[in-house]
Amino acid sequence: MKCDIAVVGSGLSALIATRTLQRAGRDPVLIWPGLSSLYFLYATVDVLGYPNPTTAEPVEEPVAGVRQLIAQNPDHPYARAGLAALQDGSSLFLEWLREAGFNWQGTLARNLLLPTATGTPKPSCLVPTSMVAGDLQRDEPIAFCGFDGYQDFIPELAASNLSRAWNGGHRTVTAARVSLPGVKPDQLFTSIDLARSFEDATFRREVASRLRHQVKDEGARLGMPAVLGLTHDTDVHAEFEKETGHPVFEIPTLPPSVLGLRLFDRLRRHIQETGVEMIWAAPAHDAEVANGRCLRIHLKSAGRETPVEARAFVLALEDAVDGAWRAGPHSVRDPFFHQLLAHHATPGERTDESLFQPQPFAGIGYPVSDRLQPSDKDGHPLASNVFVAGGGIAGYDPTGIKARGGMAIATGYRAAQEAMAA
Amino acid sequence: MITEDLETYSDTVEEEHSVEACTKCTACNTVCPVARSTEIFRGPKFLGPESERYRDQHEATVTAGLDLCSGCKLCEVTCPSQVSIQEYIRRAQNKGAREKGRTLRDWLLGHTRLLSRFGSLTAPLANFGNSNPLFRLVMERVAGIHHKRPLPKYQWLTFERWFKRHHRENSPPAQGEGRVGARRTVAYFYGCWVDFNERKLGEQVVAVLERNGIEVIVPRQQCCGIPAVVNSNTDLARKYGVENVRRLSQLPEGVDIIASSTSCGLMLKHDYAHLLEIPGAEQVGSRVYDICEYLWMLHEASELDVDFQPVDTRVLYHAPCHLKSHGIGYPAMRLLHLIPGVRVEEVDEGCCGISGTYGVKVEKYDLSMKIGSRLFEAVKAAGSDSVLADCETCRMQVEHGAGSRSAHPIDILARAYGYR
Repeated sequence: MKCDIAVVGSGLSALIATRTLQRAGRDPVLIWPGLSSLYFLYATVDVLGYPNPTTAEPVEEPVAGVRQLIAQNPDHPYARAGLAALQDGSSLFLEWLREAGFNWQGTLARNLLLPTATGTPKPSCLVPTSMVAGDLQRDEPIAFCGFDGYQDFIPELAASNLSRAWNGGHRTVTAARVSLPGVKPDQLFTSIDLARSFEDATFRREVASRLRHQVKDEGARLGMPAVLGLTHDTDVHAEFEKETGHPVFEIPTLPPSVLGLRLFDRLRRHIQETGVEMIWAAPAHDAEVANGRCLRIHLKSAGRETPVEARAFVLALEDAVDGAWRAGPHSVRDPFFHQLLAHHATPGERTDESLFQPQPFAGIGYPVSDRLQPSDKDGHPLASNVFVAGGGIAGYDPTGIKARGGMAIATGYRAAQEAMAA
Repeated sequence: MITEDLETYSDTVEEEHSVEACTKCTACNTVCPVARSTEIFRGPKFLGPESERYRDQHEATVTAGLDLCSGCKLCEVTCPSQVSIQEYIRRAQNKGAREKGRTLRDWLLGHTRLLSRFGSLTAPLANFGNSNPLFRLVMERVAGIHHKRPLPKYQWLTFERWFKRHHRENSPPAQGEGRVGARRTVAYFYGCWVDFNERKLGEQVVAVLERNGIEVIVPRQQCCGIPAVVNSNTDLARKYGVENVRRLSQLPEGVDIIASSTSCGLMLKHDYAHLLEIPGAEQVGSRVYDICEYLWMLHEASELDVDFQPVDTRVLYHAPCHLKSHGIGYPAMRLLHLIPGVRVEEVDEGCCGISGTYGVKVEKYDLSMKIGSRLFEAVKAAGSDSVLADCETCRMQVEHGAGSRSAHPIDILARAYGYR
């Protein structure tokens, strides 16, 4: 098939690139290889939480922090994308969220400090309104609330960790736990199941009533796992605050990420409803290059490959974890240009033994030009009309510096701009 | 010691689709329409790759609840590691049914072609019975077919016989393999539905293709086998598949194969080679096109006649789950945008719930309607003329659940060409 610009990917950078193209009046096609990062991850937009992975002091002003990072590290994906791409991309993202019916808050000028499911303070920048009341820069006491049988959020653990970490232990943090109506003791359920249940008003009111009896401190904010609705979450959150009589904030949990699915489902639907075609279930590979330009890529459709011809391509791939690269015991190659992206004497070199250290595999990707074109090891673009966004860029590791959403937006936006100019 | 040979091994396609590629991420469970609608279904992750690790071909099938899987394949569409989740479930279903035996109802539903041939031969009587409330209650008791489920009307004149007559009356004498002046020749895999229930769709497909100067031939064919697959009878499906592959392999080189049913097309393209492991199926599958996919390809090659008459209509488009599995996008939508007067909107509410014969069964009817309820509500709220869908049972379900009219997208195309 033929199209104007083809975007490959399923994460935030792919969605941003597609939206940027659509807003500019172009005709993108989104090639979707399967549900990945938004399903696994937080889905808040963290722009810069820490200046580097080893510093414990969080960044207060993310945009200033990114400016500094770019100045100090000209090869960083933020530097490649440029500060303007982060700023313009974020404005486009927030406007898109409003148009698609989301309720989000935050600015690039200031970080919020929000508790994680284990009670660790984490800097975040743009977040759903349902999380804002958790900001640890406010003083009100916090009561973490969990549910019997729900394994992915342990309120006692969150409370005990946060009471130590939050302002030197001078704040009140408690834990409460209630049973869920209609749930049998041995029943297995996920966050998604729970989120669907919370859309049922009877269920929700009963949980609210049980929580009211458990939480004695009338001035406390309630910290809940992010399960307050899947499709009507704005209403569910507002209603639940009324029903409990407390400010309520959501805390992202282990996969499946309710926050990520909300975002993915509605943004995807929104671009589809406004005219963008999406191709499901067709992993892309094999770029055909002639005279320095990519003519087409190939989709693994049922029965045979579908060639996709486009003026330009945005490869908004996810990172190494979800199979964007083809890894053998020694080498890691990309599926489009068959470049050797990394070579290791033993596979063990790809990982650090400590889970909390930067992982070498995370940085594997295409070296990119100043215009985000994938390049060979000598820095020559592999094709002038192909651009990389997100985890496909070498050195793209937002984990330690807490910059996941921001880097996806900046690179997605910039890659789309370049694709339009190609 | 690790050698480079290992590297080649781990890069093979088998590895990509294998149970080892499953990272247990649970993405499949979150999109499963059955798991969303009933808590007694443990979801594709558990019934597919998780259980597969404990299945042994010589031992009894361990997993209960397999029959609740409707076969929509959305789990495979969603899997970031391209694990063939459905295929594990299907093989285990077949093995379970082999061990425990099949009900008469499931045996019959697997033999759709036989059933439909009988229905067609006795059309007035069969249609009377199928719409008679008393008979339907008896049918529910005896055969386990839910009395509320409208059954398709059978037609006495089959597509196969219609086409023979059409061919005799319209074809100039053949020269060699192709018709004189025809740019392309296609073989139409019409499927049981067009043959026995909706001959008109087949006539429209032929009209649209012939309008574009394409010679249509109709090779002898068997049921594609999907009713057998979904009724835990991959053995029977394989038998049908082998027969189809043998016949379709004999088509002259350069003849493409067209299907107008999403699910028949997917069987030919993919499941024959992968689920049923039929020799020669890959070659046949690589020649198969969905009708809209094919017409769009013609359009991109500037071979499609776009001299359309305006069709003044506002329609909704429902993308069948199995269309998503084709990995070709929504070619019907692209074609419809070419026709003046057609205002088409996608109604994106996921699975319709019927999944072929699944929603016909007495114990699954309510679940099937619950799965489709979001779609029905959206269709009712949109208040449009009709719903277009490439899959016949999706159309049945939307008509029943939302009370709307429905048609294959080809219906609009045929009208735009002035064909009635």
